[in-house]
Amino acid sequence: MNGVTRLLVWIAVALTLVAAPLGLPPFAMTLLTEAVILGLFAMSLDLMFGYTRLVSFGHAAAYGFGAYACGWMLLHTGMPLLFAVFAAALLTGVMAIGVGWMCTLATGVSFSMLTLAFAQLLYAISFKWTSVTGGSDGLAGIPRTIGPFGFAALSTKTGFYYLALACLVGGFLLCRALVRSPFGAVLRGIRENEAKTTALGYNVRLYKITVVAVSYTLGGLAGALYAPFAGFANTELLFWLLSGQVLIMVIVGGSGTLIGPVLGAAFFMLMEHQLSALTEAWALYFGLIFIAFVLFAPQGIWGLATARLPRNPAGP
Amino acid sequence: MALLELDGVTRRYGALVALDQVVMKVEQGEVRAVIGPNGAGKTTLFNVITGTVRPSDGLIRFANQPISGLASHQICRLGISRTFQITALFPEMSARENARLAAQARHRRRWQPFGGTRIFKEAETRADAALEQLGLAAIADRPAGLLSHGDQRLLEVAMAMAQQPRVLLLDEPTQGLSVEETEQAVETLARFLQASQMTVLLVEHDMEVVFRLAHRITVLHRGAVIADGAPDQVKADPGVQAAYLGGFA
Repeated sequence: MNGVTRLLVWIAVALTLVAAPLGLPPFAMTLLTEAVILGLFAMSLDLMFGYTRLVSFGHAAAYGFGAYACGWMLLHTGMPLLFAVFAAALLTGVMAIGVGWMCTLATGVSFSMLTLAFAQLLYAISFKWTSVTGGSDGLAGIPRTIGPFGFAALSTKTGFYYLALACLVGGFLLCRALVRSPFGAVLRGIRENEAKTTALGYNVRLYKITVVAVSYTLGGLAGALYAPFAGFANTELLFWLLSGQVLIMVIVGGSGTLIGPVLGAAFFMLMEHQLSALTEAWALYFGLIFIAFVLFAPQGIWGLATARLPRNPAGP
Repeated sequence: MALLELDGVTRRYGALVALDQVVMKVEQGEVRAVIGPNGAGKTTLFNVITGTVRPSDGLIRFANQPISGLASHQICRLGISRTFQITALFPEMSARENARLAAQARHRRRWQPFGGTRIFKEAETRADAALEQLGLAAIADRPAGLLSHGDQRLLEVAMAMAQQPRVLLLDEPTQGLSVEETEQAVETLARFLQASQMTVLLVEHDMEVVFRLAHRITVLHRGAVIADGAPDQVKADPGVQAAYLGGFA
């Protein structure tokens, strides 16, 4: 596949995604929107997991925090949808500077455990701080406030899909620029040999905190989209199960590729939907699929899809 | 004035004294070898100079500036680059990318989170020059993990040189090499040191390598300096022979 065909494939994919609302029934649009949101979430984790080898067991912290922050703002302030979504994402990023500072005191498994501990801490808070989080009921009836500047279209089902899609594409372009930049080259160094990267004179911890903050910001953006999309935010969005699922999406999709995790998220949703119609034990069967990927296709879906193609020298 | 100066540097691990009141002066352009039996404190000395380990006591000056309290990446940026006893590379990157990432660490905008074509290009120019110096230009595009062990050792030196350091710290550059590989690597190193006039601090086990490369030798024994002088002087020193050389000379 040369440059031209590659471009054509991309244009075809883009047109299909843009035209999707014309042809798909409403329930399929709901699934597609959720897949786009989860795709953004998985892609955000790829920055840490795939590019820096920072294994987060608590990425639900970003998603849930973004969802609660956005939901709370939409419920209790008159903030318009667009503003609340981006403010929630930024808040998540600011929170993540603290998380990153704390978690990067440790490395390896200890780092992962600290991210998990932090997510569980937020999970506990979401249960106990009833006046803000609604406790075990969560926040319900989150409106898609239009606000004074128009953008009424965003509150419709189709409009919201386009908003989510724009966030995914924007997030992708941002991540791609980041991983191809000098900053990204240092991340790759940290991934391959952290001690050597330090010895070369890089302040490795600062790079790690930055990448955690960027990753959580985008994860928070995904969560912030989810709250007005679903109309609710509950404790499940902060639960470790989601942290595990998003890791699986990244690995099945193909880590260190940005696009792979998006495909992984779509694949996960598709499997959940299809398998849960057939059996209650769908998670068991998906687990088997996951194991098969780890053993036989560690490069994931994206790796399988591009295996026979000449490699793009720059990489995504 | 000495470029690198250690004054009474001590490092204790509990009751163990890894470095004991080490005094040392390395002049500009000098190739200094540090030798000593296993556990003499040679690698600890490197770790203390590069800031990976803090000295318990004593003062280290680099170009008249005290560096003992600085973080290792700060010390590195002042112009001290090192290699490791156990090969430390980025195995999936090409040799050129390895050296480029090393050179990038010296760039003002090394952290730029977008674009960066110019930064990469400037770093690559230095990287290629360093690879050339160590005779690695021909294998620049190969993944570092697939290079021969000898080339990997030289690549580490090239990475350090791509940073255009003022002092180069080499921790056993021929560690783990076969006899032939060692010969080749030493030949390349000798030619490179001759041409570059680099200030070098070298830890090495192999005495032939030391006598081939070093202008001056410091002998460590149980963390303390027991001799310091020109190679012939050190070779003849009875204390050194007893402690280390074991009748080599």
